[in-house]
Amino acid sequence: MQTNSTSWSQKLFRKLLRVFPADFCANYGGEMEGVFREQHREAGERGGMVGLLRLWAETLSGIFSTAPREHWEILKSDCAYAFRMMRNNLGFTTIAIITLGLGIGVNTALFSVVHAVLMRPLPYPNGSQLVFVRQQESKVGQDDIGFSVHEIEDYRDQTRTLSGLVEYHSMSFTLFGHGDPDRVTAGVVSPNYFEFFGIKPLLGRTFVAQDDEPGAPAVLVLSYEYWKGRFGGDMNIVGRTFELNDKVHTVVGVLPPVPQYPHDNDVYMPSSACPFRGAKAFIANRDARMMEVFGRLKPGVSLASAQADLATIAGRLRSAYPKSYPDNIGYTAEASSLREELTSKARPTLLVLLAAAAFVLLIACANVANLTLARMVRRERELAVRTALGAGRSRLLRQLLTESFLLALAGGIAGLFLAYGSLGLLTEFAARLTPRAREIQIDKDALLFTLLAALGTSVAFGSIAALFGRVNVSSGLKEGSAGAGAGGGSHRNRFRSALIVSQVAFSFMLLIGAGLMLRSLMKMQEVNPGFVPQHVLAMRMTFNFSKYTTTDQYADIGKKVVERVESEPGVISAAVTSSYPMQPEIVTAGPGAISTSFQIEGQTLSASEAPPVGSFVLVSPEYFKTLGVPLMEGREFSRADETKTLQVAIVNEAMKRRYWVNEDPVGKRVSADGGKTWMTVVGIVGDVRDFGVIQPAAAQFYLPQTQNPQPSALIVRTAADPGSMARAAIRAIHDVDSQTAVSKVLTLEQAQSDAIASPRVMASLLGIFAGLALLIAAAGIGGIMALAVGQRVREIGIRMALGAQPSAILRMILRQGLAWVLLGVGLGLLGAFALTGILKSFLFEVGPTDPLTFAGVAFVLIAAAVIATLLPARRAASIDPNVALRSE
Amino acid sequence: MGRKKETEEFLPLTPAAFHILLALADGEKHGYAIIKEVARRSDNKVHLSAGTLYGNLARLEGSGLIRESDRRPEAGLDDERRRYYGLTKFGREVAVAEAERMQEALTQAHAKRLFRKPETI
Repeated sequence: MQTNSTSWSQKLFRKLLRVFPADFCANYGGEMEGVFREQHREAGERGGMVGLLRLWAETLSGIFSTAPREHWEILKSDCAYAFRMMRNNLGFTTIAIITLGLGIGVNTALFSVVHAVLMRPLPYPNGSQLVFVRQQESKVGQDDIGFSVHEIEDYRDQTRTLSGLVEYHSMSFTLFGHGDPDRVTAGVVSPNYFEFFGIKPLLGRTFVAQDDEPGAPAVLVLSYEYWKGRFGGDMNIVGRTFELNDKVHTVVGVLPPVPQYPHDNDVYMPSSACPFRGAKAFIANRDARMMEVFGRLKPGVSLASAQADLATIAGRLRSAYPKSYPDNIGYTAEASSLREELTSKARPTLLVLLAAAAFVLLIACANVANLTLARMVRRERELAVRTALGAGRSRLLRQLLTESFLLALAGGIAGLFLAYGSLGLLTEFAARLTPRAREIQIDKDALLFTLLAALGTSVAFGSIAALFGRVNVSSGLKEGSAGAGAGGGSHRNRFRSALIVSQVAFSFMLLIGAGLMLRSLMKMQEVNPGFVPQHVLAMRMTFNFSKYTTTDQYADIGKKVVERVESEPGVISAAVTSSYPMQPEIVTAGPGAISTSFQIEGQTLSASEAPPVGSFVLVSPEYFKTLGVPLMEGREFSRADETKTLQVAIVNEAMKRRYWVNEDPVGKRVSADGGKTWMTVVGIVGDVRDFGVIQPAAAQFYLPQTQNPQPSALIVRTAADPGSMARAAIRAIHDVDSQTAVSKVLTLEQAQSDAIASPRVMASLLGIFAGLALLIAAAGIGGIMALAVGQRVREIGIRMALGAQPSAILRMILRQGLAWVLLGVGLGLLGAFALTGILKSFLFEVGPTDPLTFAGVAFVLIAAAVIATLLPARRAASIDPNVALRSE
Repeated sequence: MGRKKETEEFLPLTPAAFHILLALADGEKHGYAIIKEVARRSDNKVHLSAGTLYGNLARLEGSGLIRESDRRPEAGLDDERRRYYGLTKFGREVAVAEAERMQEALTQAHAKRLFRKPETI
């Protein structure tokens, strides 16, 4: 019994000793066990159970008060030692901190983006319950046709899975009362819209039910961005009045900075205030769809059951209103999580960039590990001495890890600065992909990430250095052994080569990614957009529509604007239009969002056959001339096409290819309103890439502004620099009607370049990452070759003494460097083949295994490596054998 | 003078450290013997645990106040793994300095009559 308890206590005591530093344990552990055994025996003999308990209490408190102090002492001395080492090796320290700073910095920056956009919950209470509801015509490829008032009511009444369906649409209005007429985008929403999202106003209030009642005073809520940008964050904004749609509107509140979806709006108003939404005819028409709908999943309801619920309601509507939902359009309704809506477009891009950043960090790690290993060679004597003086392996490992952690921590701090500096740029980029970009910041999670990255990095390169720089005491202490001792040395050199090879391989993969993106970007820039973007100025015009009510009035003002602008010197031609190519809103919306179905005279469709679809652009006669779009057949529009004359249309070649394969569309009639009115096709024009460079031209109709006026944009072809004509053009518009808001003034060259801004930024970022990787890897190769040459001075001296020519030595060193690089390129090639598939969706007319890119990248990498190796190789070739053999 | 300054860096000693130095003042001892000596001289009031003892020994040894003795117990008589520790000259000086410091404090306490009268004991 007694011996049993003794041995049990002994075992426990021995286990407890492990909380002491390993060296302490090795030094005193045995003795401590002996002491404890005696104490235990004595306590048992004298005090029995009470004595034993008392001994254990004293022992435990002794261990747990002493051990932390021992650890702290070691940490203090290790840190002091590490700082001394860092100061004594300033070159190494600087390079390591910069390398790690770059690696950690790009990761911190991207992490804060990914964290804000993809990881954090939506900034609304219970945001995961929010869904975006769509009605779709799946058979005609329309994935969001919007909702009519009747439809919203139907879904609101019938849904069992969603609570609080709220409506939204966005419109442009002109705001008077603050300098020039200001074109604002207004979100028109249900009165409980903000309450539904759980958005608390920053100033004032949001809407209440009374605001939506007929005859209620008109009110506005400003978005945070508009309030900041247009009113400089005026704290007294609430209560100010503006004129809008011929009515005085009072500002009642300001929103906090929240993501706005699907559009960034300047102001919000309740739905009854919108003159279109409030019109009786609009409300009565089941097919007048304009609104978007948000819903909230009831507690415990899954998205899947909401989908089923919506599909059931859609089915009911199909059978109740067969005219509104004919079988051949594939009408249905579905919900998707709001979070997905806000972020799905950004996810692949951000993840690819994060992976690229991780590659950079890996390369940085490998490089610093290599530097550390190289330095270990020089420190071998020192470490061997310390080992001989009684420092155990684990003690040395611990000290090396402390050193590497301090380095990585310094790198992390440098990285934080880098991340902080680059965040503005990244946010701007992310804003193209997601409305959540405004949430990006370096917060405590990003700081934690940086710390963890630094810790992980230091463990990675520190333990590599410690394990493969294993100190061999006897060889380290031997006189004159300059480091690379035969056994451990070659082992270590092999490992260093492996690190180099892996750096080259990862750099290769990054360069391939950047190269592919660059090639694809070049292809995008080479695309013929179907018009001549040079020397064309474009701008949005918003007329004060309360002054213009009839079609003829609109047609007239459009004509006047064109005439007035064309009278300006330097203007070659001008046109008004409903939209123009590469217009930002159109580019982001895509053809699916603005296409409508139509019918071709004489063509009968079977019940299940989808009707033809096309998008409509309403243009004045000068449109094609101004843009430089070629007429292929028939005629252009003329001023003679009027409301009372034949209704005409022009189609593009894509339309002809799709719906009149072996026929001539000219002379055929089409209808977009179910056969009430018919338009005759009078001409065919060339395809224009309206929806961005990447999207091929969609099937399109052009209708004359003279018959279908919607003069919401002006395009001007100028003789001189179009940017310099902007003032004159705006003045000309205001001459015609001073109450016209002009916005989004830009040249079509800008618009075209903006349309590929996202791939351009992605290519630039990948390019920067790849460039960093190349630089780090090349510096690594050069450094390691220099070290290798340093170690082989004697051998090279002997070779030269035996008659080797300097050029042969040069070739020998170059060959070795090249061997590593080629191996790295080979491995990188395999990796790239495996990984570039991920990039496929980002690429335009370039395959993920584009041979030209692969060859080019391999060439660049090999050339960089040769240049990096050349310096040490030349040093090797200039070694004087006499000197080399005499030294040592 | 410089020497004095060096010793003063260690003052005041922790009670455990002073007890250990005191225990080693009359000769080299091994760990368990130190514990026994401290307990005996303090009327069993001070119990050093193994952790406290060796933590202190490590630090005292590291600062050169004590050193490990060459002496080894005779085979069979004692546990051969036991190591003996003794005061260094410097350690003795530090212990003396600490004792003097205490003495001075005690003198001042007496002067201020900060002690119990003998008859009340």
